[in-house]
Amino acid sequence: MKMKLNKLDVTWLILLVITMLNALVAETAEPHLVITTIICFSIAYKGRRIIDYFMELNQANQTIRRLMRSYFYIFPALIFLTDVFSEQLAALTTF
Amino acid sequence: MNQVASNTFYINGSGSVTTEPETIKKIPGNKAVWVAIFAELSEFAVFFIAYFIAKAHSPIEFEQGPLQLNTLAGTLNTFALITSSYFVAKALAAIRLNEPDRSIRYLSFAVFCGACYLVVKYWEYHWNVDHGIHANTNSFFSMYYYMTFNHLIHVTWASCSLLWAISQIKVGNYTQERHIGLTAIACYWHMVDLAWVIIFPLLYVLR
Repeated sequence: MKMKLNKLDVTWLILLVITMLNALVAETAEPHLVITTIICFSIAYKGRRIIDYFMELNQANQTIRRLMRSYFYIFPALIFLTDVFSEQLAALTTF
Repeated sequence: MNQVASNTFYINGSGSVTTEPETIKKIPGNKAVWVAIFAELSEFAVFFIAYFIAKAHSPIEFEQGPLQLNTLAGTLNTFALITSSYFVAKALAAIRLNEPDRSIRYLSFAVFCGACYLVVKYWEYHWNVDHGIHANTNSFFSMYYYMTFNHLIHVTWASCSLLWAISQIKVGNYTQERHIGLTAIACYWHMVDLAWVIIFPLLYVLR
């Protein structure tokens, strides 16, 4: 019998694979800006897949879709920026 | 047969999203649940910002912290939440196809995944204590317990809402024609999953 995958199945499999790769990175990779960048992209991509296909916001109300998607642009970007500018952030938040 | 039932449904990937009568240019579920979702995401946003600041002030602790955590537990919990979200989406697709029994089955699988998450988290917290990891060990572990315990509470009550959805399908309150409540619960559950999508790499992966 031929197995047919729909977008939900594909999304689920992609998310599992990315999670396993993340776990592999956690166990093996040394801290590096390249690793941080890859992880940030993986967060953004996972978030987008869940928002578009599990939450079904792909074609839904524009405001909600934009707000939800922007959350997964802003936070991966903040993770990257706070890694790059950690000393400046520490100085900025020292009273 | 009413208008909704006679349309071609977008069954989460089996068809075209442009024929989905429920979500196209509309608010999935209801406005109230989206107020709750954005409130919860704002709460998690505050946690994430606190994490960034704490990490900037204690880089050594945040570099060594993830190495001491149980990555297997974090990964298993990620699997559990992603899989539960998948089942919730399948349950919504099933109710649209007027298959309430299949919808209940998928929701039950989702609840089981939620329960697995709680069991793994319980094991992980015990494992932490056995390895001398406590909330006051250092600022990384304070953030870890603050974020994960808060998330655990969300998983707990979201699981309860899934059980509520199952009961509503059983008594016939959620049907093919009327299941806004189920859609709202599904969106909330996906939000809980989304929060973990950021928490997992922050605590277990990034150093």
